[in-house]
Amino acid sequence: MSRREVAFTREQIAAYAEASGDHNPIHLDDDFAQTVGLPGIIAHGMLQMGLMAGVAAEAAGGPEKLRRIYCRFAGMVVPGDVVTFTAEPLAPGKLDLRAINQRGEPVLTKSVAEYD
Amino acid sequence: MADSAKADVGVAGRTYPPVTFQLEPGRVAAFARAIGADPAAGVPPTFAAVYSLGATAPQLFGDAEAAVDFARLLHAEQEFTWSRHPRPDETVTSQGHVTTDLSRRGMRFVTFETETTDARAQPVCRSKALFVIRS
Repeated sequence: MSRREVAFTREQIAAYAEASGDHNPIHLDDDFAQTVGLPGIIAHGMLQMGLMAGVAAEAAGGPEKLRRIYCRFAGMVVPGDVVTFTAEPLAPGKLDLRAINQRGEPVLTKSVAEYD
Repeated sequence: MADSAKADVGVAGRTYPPVTFQLEPGRVAAFARAIGADPAAGVPPTFAAVYSLGATAPQLFGDAEAAVDFARLLHAEQEFTWSRHPRPDETVTSQGHVTTDLSRRGMRFVTFETETTDARAQPVCRSKALFVIRS
């Protein structure tokens, strides 16, 4: 099983916004996020998926081996959350992907990867 | 009568014009660092969030007829399927397509698919995103 624990920070979320070009203010501006009913800024689902894919790639034997990845973003991740990402073999060429926060709540569910 | 609350509200079936994207090495490396990957290990698989989904989703978000409220949009599900992974400096072409657009219990569900091909029109990646727009 491949595993990685990540403590999410505002700086990391801002860096992902910059690198990905996803500047939705719900990821950058607390006041704005609150006006649309969120607790404050939240991490990009695609940042979670990027971290998850890194763990999946390690389990698969390299990023170039990944053929498919699917993630369901089931829970919000906010700065200060600590998320544990794991990739576990499910069948030959198939991985079960999980991401669970510090309260034991899943933030990614039904997530899988396939590799060569 | 569960389906009585389910209406097709919008732009299902709409295809946007193809978008060309060059995988500029500096940008690929910055993305790798942002997700804690090794910038020397080539293009991170989920850089597809940029060259495939990210290249095309702004067309949907900027489509006045689609009327997607970006601030109330949540990315609920994402799938990428690769025929192969692109290389730094490669130029790819991505085309987005709305496959479903449904409204249910005050929420709108939009499935947006993107096909990315290489310079020889060979498949590279397929992205399938589910967006939920809260009312």
